[in-house]
Amino acid sequence: MEALGTFGQLLVGGLLTGLVFALVAVGLTLVYGVMDVVNFAHGEFLMLAMYATLGLALLGLGPLVGLPLVAIAMFLFGIVVYRVFVRRLLAGPPEATVFGTFGLLVLLQGVAQATLTSDFQSAPNPPFRGTLHLGAIAVSQATVIEGIGALVLTAALFAFVEYTETGRAMRAVAEDRVAATLMGIDVQRVNGLAFGIGAACVGAAGALLMLSYPVYPTAGAPFALTAFVVVALGGFGSIQGALVGALLVGMLEVFGGFYLSPEMKMVPVYLAYLAIVLLRPQGLLGRR
Amino acid sequence: MTARPHLFALAAIVVAGLLAALGVRSAVVLDLVFTLLLYAVLGQSWNWISGYAGNISFGHAIFFGCGAYASALCVTHGLSPWLAIPAGALAAALLALVTGFPTLGLRGHYFSIATIAVAALVEVFVRTSPALGKANGFELPIASGWAAMQFPQKGPYVMLALALFAIVQLATIALERSRLGYYLRALRANHAAAASVGIDERRYKLIAFAWSAAMAAAAGVLYAQYTLFVDPPSTIALAVSIDIALIGVVGGIGTLWGPLAGALVYVVLAKAVALRMGGTGKGYDLVIYGAIICVIAALRPYGIVGTIVDALRRRRGASVAVPTAGTAA
Repeated sequence: MEALGTFGQLLVGGLLTGLVFALVAVGLTLVYGVMDVVNFAHGEFLMLAMYATLGLALLGLGPLVGLPLVAIAMFLFGIVVYRVFVRRLLAGPPEATVFGTFGLLVLLQGVAQATLTSDFQSAPNPPFRGTLHLGAIAVSQATVIEGIGALVLTAALFAFVEYTETGRAMRAVAEDRVAATLMGIDVQRVNGLAFGIGAACVGAAGALLMLSYPVYPTAGAPFALTAFVVVALGGFGSIQGALVGALLVGMLEVFGGFYLSPEMKMVPVYLAYLAIVLLRPQGLLGRR
Repeated sequence: MTARPHLFALAAIVVAGLLAALGVRSAVVLDLVFTLLLYAVLGQSWNWISGYAGNISFGHAIFFGCGAYASALCVTHGLSPWLAIPAGALAAALLALVTGFPTLGLRGHYFSIATIAVAALVEVFVRTSPALGKANGFELPIASGWAAMQFPQKGPYVMLALALFAIVQLATIALERSRLGYYLRALRANHAAAASVGIDERRYKLIAFAWSAAMAAAAGVLYAQYTLFVDPPSTIALAVSIDIALIGVVGGIGTLWGPLAGALVYVVLAKAVALRMGGTGKGYDLVIYGAIICVIAALRPYGIVGTIVDALRRRRGASVAVPTAGTAA
């Protein structure tokens, strides 16, 4: 009975963690799908969003009130980064997008370290500090809010891409850039929007994470590493795939951390990445 | 193009380095020279697989770590640190073959992320392995003399680093002119076309990866004998891998002198930031490296040396060999 309780506890913990991973990963996978770029600075965008949320919290706006503001700010930031920088990378050789976004990672971490110090900082007086009890399972309220919020936003993004005109244009560009251009779609505009929306996803995720996590200059890196694995599991470019992959990775991490040891919790996650890219590179749900 | 100008340049660097090792007393200057040469070797090692072969690695520190740990293990078990050079190089080459066999066929970011995953697994292995000192690592016992590869002055260390640098540069000059070098560049430019004329991608990339790993391991041995301290954060962590990639990218990927240029920028900036800002300047060096990489990636994807080579070729009126934007896809 006790073992069953532990199992349930881990299961719920893994699912809730996985939902936040999903929101981070859908931003990455959307950008990848539309313009074939893996943004290595994705985790640093998340870190910026967490600092922005912290700033608003210090002004008296809690993380949930700050969420839309941070998401909008990150959306605009993403569009600027695309216009000024990523657009040029796309015109270069294929490696340029890998080491260009890697340079952005180094730059943003450096800026954060130089201006905001390496200290861990948490939002003052975060709401939802209580614990919820579901039978034998106890979860912190903050984690539940994070998970539900992430699920709602991930679903909203899916609906946007699936049912709106702009979403259709994105899918068209993802499918065949040249054909989309011939159909009169402005590829640069679609790319910029996709990059902005990708950044807005981590903007929202960063605001949610500030409910329970501290922020520091490399706070985004572990989430980005996880997101790479999630996106590979789900199939690069697939939003539903990212959700399924994220839940799987959330479980792997939580169960790995418990049954192996905390310092080995990422081992099953990385092994899953290697297994999937070697055996089924299109991902669990991706198409060839 | 003839190798002669490169050989002259290398000879000039070796002479200048020897004069510095024998004549300069300042430990600060010698430390800078040693670090510069060591990073140039690491950058060149990275350049073999990521520059010439085009598989960008974010996990190269594990091969550096093979050398550093081989050194620590040899010395703490009463063996000569000189033995660590072949042993570490062999271990690194084997690790490269084992991890490269499945992953080197992956393209672009698939490979880059796989290197992060492999390096993270290696780090967990080291951190949990009692024989490798777990998270604490090793402190090397103090000794002195050529047999122990430890010296009270820094001059001999500079000579060793210079020798290693010269060997690695000569090997790279040879690579650029060898069949292997042409195959790698063909694979990088267009793997499908290269495969269609019978170039075995896995075989040649594995050869390059093994040599690349062996070079990084040799640098690791020297590093361990220099600092006398080896632990995961200083040798195999993701941050070390990122520094190595940074040096390679800044100087110019796939160029002979790029790694030296990248190491020069790296060492000078690190020193300048440390001098100007002291301990409070943490992060400013990252800002500058990051900005340089961004500018290079957006405007000059072939780095400092690539840009110079390009300009020289243009002046001579010859055709530009470095593929221009968009053609390499």
